[in-house]
Amino acid sequence: MKKGSKYGIHRVIEPKGVLPQPANKIDNNMDEIYDNEILIDVQTLNIDSASFTQIEEQAGGNHAKIAEIMLDIVAKQGKHRNPVTGSGGMLLGTVEKIGDALKGKIDLKEGDRIATLVSLSLTPLRIDKIKEIRSDIDQVDIDGKAILFESGIYAKIPDDMPATLALSALDVAGAPAQTAKLVKPGDIVLIIGAGGKSGMLCCYEAKKRAGVTGKVIGLCHSERSTKRLIELGFCDYVFAADATQPVAVLEKIEELTNGHMADVTINNVNITDTEMTSILCTKNDGVVYFFSMATSFTKAALGAEGVGSDVTMIVGNGYTKGHAEITLQLLRESEKLRKVFTELYA
Amino acid sequence: MWQFSHTRSLIFSQGMKKGCRYGTHRVTEPQGTLPQPALRLDNTMEIYDNEALIAVSTLNIDSASYTQIKQICGSDAEKMKAMILDIVSTRGKLQNPVTGSGGMLLGTIREIGPEFHNKSLKKGDKIATLVSLSLTPLKIYKINHLDPNSDQIDVEAEAILFDSGLFARLPDDIPEKLALAALDVAGAPAQVDRLVKEGDVVCIIGGGGKSGILCCYQAMKNAGPYGRVIVVEYAEANAQRIRDLRLATDVIVADATNVMDVYNKVKAITGERGCDVTINNVNVPSTEMTSILITKGQGCVYFFSMATSFTKAALGAEGVGKDINLIVGNGYAKGHADLTLNIIRESKPIRELFEKIYV
Repeated sequence: MKKGSKYGIHRVIEPKGVLPQPANKIDNNMDEIYDNEILIDVQTLNIDSASFTQIEEQAGGNHAKIAEIMLDIVAKQGKHRNPVTGSGGMLLGTVEKIGDALKGKIDLKEGDRIATLVSLSLTPLRIDKIKEIRSDIDQVDIDGKAILFESGIYAKIPDDMPATLALSALDVAGAPAQTAKLVKPGDIVLIIGAGGKSGMLCCYEAKKRAGVTGKVIGLCHSERSTKRLIELGFCDYVFAADATQPVAVLEKIEELTNGHMADVTINNVNITDTEMTSILCTKNDGVVYFFSMATSFTKAALGAEGVGSDVTMIVGNGYTKGHAEITLQLLRESEKLRKVFTELYA
Repeated sequence: MWQFSHTRSLIFSQGMKKGCRYGTHRVTEPQGTLPQPALRLDNTMEIYDNEALIAVSTLNIDSASYTQIKQICGSDAEKMKAMILDIVSTRGKLQNPVTGSGGMLLGTIREIGPEFHNKSLKKGDKIATLVSLSLTPLKIYKINHLDPNSDQIDVEAEAILFDSGLFARLPDDIPEKLALAALDVAGAPAQVDRLVKEGDVVCIIGGGGKSGILCCYQAMKNAGPYGRVIVVEYAEANAQRIRDLRLATDVIVADATNVMDVYNKVKAITGERGCDVTINNVNVPSTEMTSILITKGQGCVYFFSMATSFTKAALGAEGVGKDINLIVGNGYAKGHADLTLNIIRESKPIRELFEKIYV
């Protein structure tokens, strides 16, 4: 077998010298694998929601047209990176072959069911046939193959829950795992965008870590998600507000925390202009964790300086050690969470 | 309790109106925003109970803003003066409508409200504001001197410092303009001081610039004799300066956007483990992956560069499966002004260099 690079640079066709993610075209020939690659027999693609929405709109909702667009993306790039949104997604499949350099050194064997936790925007993929498109949950069943690089992260699909349920939670695995690392007993935690998929997981994990002496405050947007979060019962306080209005939210948090403000703020909301709200609601030496992909780096950096706040602002890293295990465990621990996830996303 | 609404701010305390800590009481348009994103601020020079009034002598205009003004006016000093006066009379602050940026100011404290929380500030103190002019209420009475080639202009003006506003008292032992040049990048070395521990392997990308030099000095000091400070610099002249000043243990000349080249060169020094802390100071886009790859798992990348893309950093680390802390550079850290001025006091070579280049 040929020796491969840890980061998959050996598969980059053009432009040369870049990593697989920014590359325009990567080699998706699966007849032969490199010594540090894992070949996966793919069953389901979980397309990133921004990407799927764009494809669906372009296709006018027509399934045959969606299939055509997807096949075209992969034919041109060797991977499923949406040329408009730049995003990918994840996949579910079975390990077919493991390169010699990895065999016996990793906790995977041929036949294991796994979900890849690296983006499809950098994963070599070949689609032989599109079998079924489930528009409501952005999932597409296919016949095809994919390659996982040595640096690629994955999770084994557990036996005790349906694969689609596991996949829906693993999609946002980074958020609750980072919450677990950041929140200490007794902390006041503010979760912005608390009613969404990653928000609900974060609320549960935050309450677990903050304990009885801590306080978890959930900020939601819609009435429906507010009601859902109240019913889940993870938070000490839930309210609905527009997260782009810093002054109004600040006043509310002041009141709820007696002026102490949040020790940790986790921003999960995928809309722009919520940086200032996150900064102002956090105490001077607290931490703001930005999971939202709509975060503007300069608005956060200049915003904190502008109000003289010494907060630590962290860029949400979708990967942290043990994130898949932590996230799947939440669905086992909480019957309520599992029920809501099954209803909404599986 | 802070007061936010205009009706409530009409409560008088010692004859003065009560202000909000963040200055939202000065926002006239659009309501509900903070002073920085606001289109217009009330620049009436009558203070609220928690504000300070500054008699301004010099405006240090942000370089992106000044360059834009200079271009539009064809480097004509009179036209530039008119344009600056027009911005301030329209917006109540010197926030360039195109670049969105401001700058800093130098002045003397003329009046302090009774509720201004920092009691160490006295009437007559000479200060530099460390918050941007893009959020500072300003009224210019006269521009005394403007040189199209210098972004420091002399004025007769007044400005308001909000209760949350940052400032530094100007020291007696450092010339004003040198102090201003150093304070402009005060956040960076202060954050380095927090992040770098003894024995750490540190990489400073873009180490040859103003903030880079200060970061190198602090990193060398913190990492100690068994640590390592690696500088990645694009320009050979800057790299030579770092070598001459002995501000790093290793200097690499490379293009920081060329991921694999930098990765291989850093790896040649650190081995497979990579760096404990990486500080990115380089103001060009697409250096996120370089910073991520050269940092070890569980390590930390501090992004000071305003050219950083949030999504490239976030998705990049996930894409290569790296469990590292990615931090958004905060221009403010407690004690940052003192720490930075102390570097100028401690290091004669840096002081001489800054005097030569930036004053």
